[in-house]
Amino acid sequence: MSHHLYLLSPSDTPLYSLTFYSTRPTSTVSSPLAGNLPNWSTSAFAGTLTALSGASSSAHQTSSGTVRMGGGQDRHVIQMIANASLDVIEDAMKTQTTMYFKSVDKFNEWTVSAFVTPGNMKFLLLHEGKNDDGIKAFFTDVWELYVKTMLNPFHTAHTPVRSAVFDTRVRASAKKYL
Amino acid sequence: MSSYAQPHSRVSVLSTSSQSSVEHLSPAASSTRFSLPSIPTTPQPKPAGVRPNIYDRNLNKTRITEVSAAAFTFLFSETVQYTQKRVSGINDLERRLNTLGYRIGTRVLELMVWRAEGQSKAPKREIRLLPALMSIHTQVWRAVFGKPADAIEKSVDNADEYMIVDNDPLIERYISVPRDMSQLSCSSFTAGIVEAVLDGLGFPARVTAHSTPKAQYPSCTTILIKLEKSVLEREEVLK
Repeated sequence: MSHHLYLLSPSDTPLYSLTFYSTRPTSTVSSPLAGNLPNWSTSAFAGTLTALSGASSSAHQTSSGTVRMGGGQDRHVIQMIANASLDVIEDAMKTQTTMYFKSVDKFNEWTVSAFVTPGNMKFLLLHEGKNDDGIKAFFTDVWELYVKTMLNPFHTAHTPVRSAVFDTRVRASAKKYL
Repeated sequence: MSSYAQPHSRVSVLSTSSQSSVEHLSPAASSTRFSLPSIPTTPQPKPAGVRPNIYDRNLNKTRITEVSAAAFTFLFSETVQYTQKRVSGINDLERRLNTLGYRIGTRVLELMVWRAEGQSKAPKREIRLLPALMSIHTQVWRAVFGKPADAIEKSVDNADEYMIVDNDPLIERYISVPRDMSQLSCSSFTAGIVEAVLDGLGFPARVTAHSTPKAQYPSCTTILIKLEKSVLEREEVLK
């Protein structure tokens, strides 16, 4: 179970990202497309293609320790899914008055949840499986940490967050809730 | 004579002890000599310069604390003077003050909403214009100046213009604008704060400040909000 967190500035520039592997067992959402597609493994872009086609099971080795290749676990695929969900989030932002957008977008096995601060910062979380309360609590923690970062007079809404303390705190919160 | 004998005996004690060791020159030892209140040594005071990390501090701690008006006035006066030396005209000066205020506004917005909504189960955002303007009129003013603004008006001529009126702006209380710069309004700083809040909430606007003196309020100031076209279009859709 991996989680990917992105903090985006009001102009959608990534300011901070975190990949977190949680050890909690949760039921993963199976993709209906998986298994119905040919094996792309001979292609140079095998990972990307399998990921995008939804054949997540072809390269998954969920047994402990092994590195998972393809199947939507590649960094660039994750980033693309996160980017693609921005459109959906922006639409939702216009009509909904909440800050927390629960499972706003879905792509194969990935679910995207988002949190929008009043200053228009977006927190994106890609996750597999359901954990609404945990994700909400996690976002609330990240929000508080972000407000504290923002109070630094040298920080602007477009400055990447590089604080080691921030990173440690976010990881601790992820460990607690995700 | 005993009054003279006392200091003598003290001096002699000091001289012998200082010969025996240099330790007694340390501040801890000299405290007995000057009979200062003894400093407890066991809980070491924090070394200067090491302050608690911002991430360890509670955001609500300073919620009700206030800033000294005198100190702020000095700081703001210096800010205006500093800026004035580096600009070519009144418009430029106002624009720079606006930019400075903008930096404050982005923080005010995040912190203010966090304090209001941070503990709630489902934090809310503002997506409609009028409630957003009302919250600027009351909440933002209260957070920054400690009191709500005096009025909020909609322009009769232009649908995209709103005005926030402050009869006695705190930051202008000790400022008297020279006659030859009568167009200048130092509340451009406040306008910057308002602009940042509106921008953050997703209502981009051009915000300016204008002096509108009245008989009983000579420093009355109007903050003029000119909204971008996209904002009004969105409002139409949401209706």
